[in-house]
Amino acid sequence: MSPHAADTRKEAADRLRDIESVTDAGLARLSVDDLLVELLDRVRDILNADTAAVLLLDAPAGQLVATAARGIEEEVYQGMRIPLGRGFAGRVAAGRQAVTIDDVQDTDVVNPVLRQKGIRSLLGVPLRVGDRLLGVLHVGALVPRHFGEADVDLLQMVADRVALATQARLSETERRAAVVLQRSLLPDRLPQVPGLEVAIRYIAGGEGDVGGDWYDLFTLPSGWVCMTVGDVVGRGLRAAAVMGRLRSAARAYALATRSDPAAILDRIDRMLRQFEPGEMATAVMVLLEPSFERLHVSLAGHPPPVVATGAGPATYVDVPVDPPLGVAPLVSRRAATVDLPPGAVVCLYSDGLVERRGVSLDARLGRLRDAVTVRSAEDVCTTVMVRLIGDDRPTDDVALLTVRRLDPPSAEPLELAVPAVASSLRDIRAAAKRWLATIDARPEDVMDVLLAVGEATSNVVEHAYGPRGGFVHVRLELQRPDVVVTVSDTGHWRSPRGDNRGRGTHIIQAVTDEVTIDRRSNGTELVIRRRVGQAGSPI
Amino acid sequence: MTTAVVDVTVDDGNVRIAVSGEVDLANAAAVEDQIVAAITNQVASVSVDLGAVDYMDSAGMRILFSLASRLAGLQIGLEIVAPVGSAARRLVEVAGLAPLVALRPPMDRAAG
Repeated sequence: MSPHAADTRKEAADRLRDIESVTDAGLARLSVDDLLVELLDRVRDILNADTAAVLLLDAPAGQLVATAARGIEEEVYQGMRIPLGRGFAGRVAAGRQAVTIDDVQDTDVVNPVLRQKGIRSLLGVPLRVGDRLLGVLHVGALVPRHFGEADVDLLQMVADRVALATQARLSETERRAAVVLQRSLLPDRLPQVPGLEVAIRYIAGGEGDVGGDWYDLFTLPSGWVCMTVGDVVGRGLRAAAVMGRLRSAARAYALATRSDPAAILDRIDRMLRQFEPGEMATAVMVLLEPSFERLHVSLAGHPPPVVATGAGPATYVDVPVDPPLGVAPLVSRRAATVDLPPGAVVCLYSDGLVERRGVSLDARLGRLRDAVTVRSAEDVCTTVMVRLIGDDRPTDDVALLTVRRLDPPSAEPLELAVPAVASSLRDIRAAAKRWLATIDARPEDVMDVLLAVGEATSNVVEHAYGPRGGFVHVRLELQRPDVVVTVSDTGHWRSPRGDNRGRGTHIIQAVTDEVTIDRRSNGTELVIRRRVGQAGSPI
Repeated sequence: MTTAVVDVTVDDGNVRIAVSGEVDLANAAAVEDQIVAAITNQVASVSVDLGAVDYMDSAGMRILFSLASRLAGLQIGLEIVAPVGSAARRLVEVAGLAPLVALRPPMDRAAG
């Protein structure tokens, strides 16, 4: 055997060992981050290089982002970004082929980290899966050298491995991020609105790939209640993110738009067309009057709500369907009004509930209408899900929001527990007003009871709790001919401060018939009785 | 959040301040700021119209009490306008503000 042949054979054996070292099955057990670091270390050893780095493509930005590095870790720490086509990595990515530089000149690189390190020679290969470019893998040497064809082949082999692992990680990360994002964007708990019962069902459908359905219910300072269900067209992280922005926009526009659901949809529509061109969504927007007597409904390419009043079968709200959001400028969106008598139920839902392959939409809508009856909101949700979903796993997201207007609470006391902060006072009065309206009291008596409730709760807000805060509990009960108001807290009262304080208690005494204050170690309870005449009759 | 609107008209040394909406602990400080800002040192008399107030409690009364005492010191007249039977009228009476200010029902809504 000639010495030359021996060299060749040794080289071949080394090569084989090198290849084995980067295709080692044991590496498969590593997480992707650990795998990248391990592969970069091994490739550095094999190629006798000083640095190794992976940059991943941020396609929308047209940039490469340093993601893993050995020997030049700082470029990852600094979140280095290289524009496509510029510098060394940019050229590798733009040309989608290996680039070698034997003697680096300043003009060859844009990355200051490479320059500061004094890297003299570079070899870079693209990270590709099929036709898709994922990024760049490169190695560098601090002394001038020539990276040969065998080096290029080996590095490309590592690059292919990195590309596959990275792609798997990116899609998994995106899927998980979308799930987390979707969860974080949907309200985890809807507000309790006295006089209403609310229940929801939300199913993320289809192989764990989230869609863009959303639901929301919130009260407005004006006493109106806004409820909405919508569906962003598309799936995945992007749809979930757009959904989140739409939900926030809906809240903001609802605050600014007093009582017109069509106006809220119109603004969301304009926002979408201006800032999210290409995105489309459907939505149903419903505003409930402060009296809870009427619903105002507007539709953007979305099926109408179902209302059950107990008088006959449930019906779909009769309102024209305007185009979806984000499609085209529209002259004016329309809204319709429908009565919501005490005890009535309204259901808002997304397409995913009523659309099934192979079943006509009308048949599904008919089934939904039959499932909605005058029962508790939770019961209605349960029945609807049993009858429309059953054991058939949904392929799309399903959102269902059911709201029931409770019967007049005249037999039932009103119970509230709200944070003891000044901004709660208005809501407490609004709820008390609603309750007092149901007992048919004289306006002047209503005014006095409201004042007493206002003063008593205001006292709790001011005096009961320190900076940690707490809750104020309010109970209104009819014990004819008296209304009994109980306001309690679990704090330790401090004495009034400032000028003109302490007048509240005096006012309560002046406008009511009996006031008892029970101060205990674990809180204070104020019980107020006020005789209330029937409207239209003298006391 | 509780909301009130403070509307100011100045007529030859007389300032008319019309408050509408609701006044409670949540917005009393903001309402007070707006009222005080409307009253310059050159003003001869101040009229605060509470006819369009839907709700007011002792937080709102505090504003009126402190206004009454400050204006008395400055020798600026203070008149409170509140229709008989209104939420504000009831409060002005039970809180004991009536003796400190000139209280009157508005001209066009004077009633028994």
